[in-house]
Amino acid sequence: MSWSTDVFVVDDVDFLYLDRFVALAGVSLTIRTGERVALLGANGCGKSTMLKLLAGLIVPDRGTVNAFGTELTEPALDDDQFARAFRARVGFVFQSSDAQLFSPTVRDEVSFGPLHLGFDRSEVERRVDDVLELLGIAELADRAPYQLSGGEKKRVAIASVLVTSPDVLLFDEPTAGLDPRTQDWFCDLVVELHRAGKTIVCATHDLAALDQLADRCVVFSEEHRIVAAGSPAEILADLPLLEATNLVHLHAHRHHDRVHTHKHDLDHYETECDHR
Amino acid sequence: MHIPDGYLSPSTCAVAAGAMTPVWLSAGRRVRKVVTNRYAPLTALAAAYCFCVMMFNVPVPDGTTAHAVGAVLVAVLLGPWAAVIAVSVALAIQALFFGDGGVLAYGANAVNMAFVMPFVGYGVYLAIARHAPLTSRRRAVAAGIGGYVGLNAAALAAAFEFGIQPLLFHTADGTPLYAPFHLSQTIPAMALAHLTVAGGVEFALTMGVVTYLQRANVPLLRINHPTTAVHATTETPRSRPRWRSAVLVFGMGALLTPLGLLAHGSAFGEAAPGGLDLHQNHLQAVPDGLARYAGFWHHALFHGYDFSHDAHPAVGYIVSALVGMAVIAGVAFAVVSLISRVRSAAR
Amino acid sequence: MTTPAWLIEPETRMGPCACCGRRAKGDFVEKTIAGAGRVLRATMFSADLASEDGFLQRTDARVKVGSAVVLLLVVAFTRHVSVLVGLYAATVLAASASQVPARLLVRRVWLFVPLFTGVVAFPAALSVITPGHIVVPMGTWFGTPFGFTAQGLTAAGLIVMRAATSISVVVLLTITTPWPRLLAALRALRVPRAFVLVLGLAYRYLFHLLTSITDMYEARKARAPRDHDLVRGRAFVAATAGATFGKAHALSEEVYLAMVARGYRGQATAIDRGPLGAVDILVFVAVVAVTLVAIGVDHVVVH
Repeated sequence: MSWSTDVFVVDDVDFLYLDRFVALAGVSLTIRTGERVALLGANGCGKSTMLKLLAGLIVPDRGTVNAFGTELTEPALDDDQFARAFRARVGFVFQSSDAQLFSPTVRDEVSFGPLHLGFDRSEVERRVDDVLELLGIAELADRAPYQLSGGEKKRVAIASVLVTSPDVLLFDEPTAGLDPRTQDWFCDLVVELHRAGKTIVCATHDLAALDQLADRCVVFSEEHRIVAAGSPAEILADLPLLEATNLVHLHAHRHHDRVHTHKHDLDHYETECDHR
Repeated sequence: MHIPDGYLSPSTCAVAAGAMTPVWLSAGRRVRKVVTNRYAPLTALAAAYCFCVMMFNVPVPDGTTAHAVGAVLVAVLLGPWAAVIAVSVALAIQALFFGDGGVLAYGANAVNMAFVMPFVGYGVYLAIARHAPLTSRRRAVAAGIGGYVGLNAAALAAAFEFGIQPLLFHTADGTPLYAPFHLSQTIPAMALAHLTVAGGVEFALTMGVVTYLQRANVPLLRINHPTTAVHATTETPRSRPRWRSAVLVFGMGALLTPLGLLAHGSAFGEAAPGGLDLHQNHLQAVPDGLARYAGFWHHALFHGYDFSHDAHPAVGYIVSALVGMAVIAGVAFAVVSLISRVRSAAR
Repeated sequence: MTTPAWLIEPETRMGPCACCGRRAKGDFVEKTIAGAGRVLRATMFSADLASEDGFLQRTDARVKVGSAVVLLLVVAFTRHVSVLVGLYAATVLAASASQVPARLLVRRVWLFVPLFTGVVAFPAALSVITPGHIVVPMGTWFGTPFGFTAQGLTAAGLIVMRAATSISVVVLLTITTPWPRLLAALRALRVPRAFVLVLGLAYRYLFHLLTSITDMYEARKARAPRDHDLVRGRAFVAATAGATFGKAHALSEEVYLAMVARGYRGQATAIDRGPLGAVDILVFVAVVAVTLVAIGVDHVVVH
């Protein structure tokens, strides 16, 4: 157990897909215990890759990633003892729920993690019941995950990660494709988890919910580097930055003889309206 | 070519399973070294892929079906041992969930599709592709041809397993207890279906995926070809004679020689005078010269390719073939080394 | 980018009647894929019957696997069709005692058996294949009498019943056992870890793979409904094979990473693997009894 307040230290990492497509170029990042951090950027700028590096699912082509004071290398992650401890402490919720839900029933899905991490069976059953209750999906326990709606799938995915009570939660585009009510529910959940002392990192381009999801924002450019960091208010106010990184665009239309401009972010939510 | 339960006698199934067990154990051990946990999903994907490929099948009159397998593709991508596992897994899912391929006959099916096919096909692929660059057309074609040959080798093995059943397992009154078709029926039936339709599909599929990967995902190809050049370079290394593949090809040829036993009659012009049909050739008696010289050479080691007085003709053929090839190879080697010695002395 | 003209201008298309031209049936490949996808999903991925409270569902998976192997061996060694019919009836009985609708079992078994075995059984009963005592004469064939022989008909009967009973046993096993427990039972029976790992993953990928293949064929159908050109068709097969592999590879990576992220390292653990209970012992005794009766009757009955 590390006593440092830094949960993750990422130092100058590069990552390439298929040996030729750059995903990250010289990125450095530090995440402290109990923080809520949002990784912002347009699609394809490297946010998901960054999360996978933090979760120890991939290793960088150059540079180092440290978690809880230990460097994440392939040998380290192959070690049974370390892997068990690490995986229990870090929970990753994927963007695509379909990739994440692979068990025959919801109950099997949620118990997958703790069973494979060596939890005691009666403990597993108790926790599974509790977490299904917490997320409001207790009545779905014996359903097949692939039959559920988008919002229900997301809840199951989050349940399957929360059940090991991880210290860190990594969310990849958590609000993408969710209906408004579920989105609200998710933001409330993040606030709750933060209050419970968990460290939360979200990769997102959803600017609307930013102040609930994050204390600190880190902005990725389309060149796969970090170009800015700051509080949500600071970042949202910096229009040139948002435009340069393709997080908003200026939308103009005519009202009779007047030009009416809105700022639209990627989901076409109005972030600011400028009537003239 | 899945063999359902009830077509093979329990002893045949046991022999096949017994033959397959060391292969499985070997594959399990080797795969841990070559295909670590990181490539486990790829192997599983290969298994799922083979499963889907095997779903499209056409019935063949001897009681089974003709279809492509995809085993050689897996061998090209991950090595033949990983192919053993991938195809065995696909066969297991089919046997358990669809009754496509029996549970007791699982060993026999595995021998055909998870052992014979990937190894024969991979051998052919290596022999044809040689040192061609990873992204060359030659490699893709080699993979396709490997698939075609491998599939037909597997079909032949399956036909053999079917065909010997009525010979070996029947009741006193001649009722076949298991598969009722003889070798002379099963081999042509399987060969026809697999040399044409199924073989063509296997060729197209194997070559198609390799071609796609050459364009879209070369790192995937590199897993099993770590030292092969990716693109064509100006100098290609001089290829040394591939003894092992030659031995393999000739060995298989030797094993196949007894097939001739199936044909009725003999090759034209080969019969001894005793086998001459005098009436058909409009003769009254054996011609003088023929009779005098026919028995000229009395020192044949394996007269008629046989060495146990026709008790085990197939064995006689195989032994004769092996001895014959060894003699020819020895003579050829002696001649070649003599020539090269003369040449180097003359320089 | 300015919108291309051909996208904005109206195009002449088919009238509302759609009655010009023949209605061609979908080609064989397409039908196989669509049908197979449906069957596969129904067969493998619906765990409904495995969670019913029948007596086979309550039996431990290891006992079921072992019993299945024993019964398959019995079927393989039996020499009389009547005994095989009796064994088949026993499986139907076991099914109905486990809330498995007999109709479903019959359909799952006989849907495949006639397709393959029927093609065999028919010609095998003819005298040209199985010589013997002709009971259904059908004239002559190049001078020799020709027809169905007694030996041939018995052989055909043996083969069909063996296949049917074997498949019935296996289907019962898989229908009443949830997949994770089946895998755990295999592991307990000493199947190597590499195989169980790949088996578990392959099962999961199949669903995604089939979905993506079906989608691709649907997409092609939507773009070129009746393209029977062989060259294009072959090129499409080759290209589809490659593209499917690529897509499936990407998805399979995601699924695997998701599993690793939750602690998977190749083990096959399931929720309960407790000691054997009363039901298990009952099943074991029943299987032994059936085996002994079958072997006994088989040896005693003389034709």
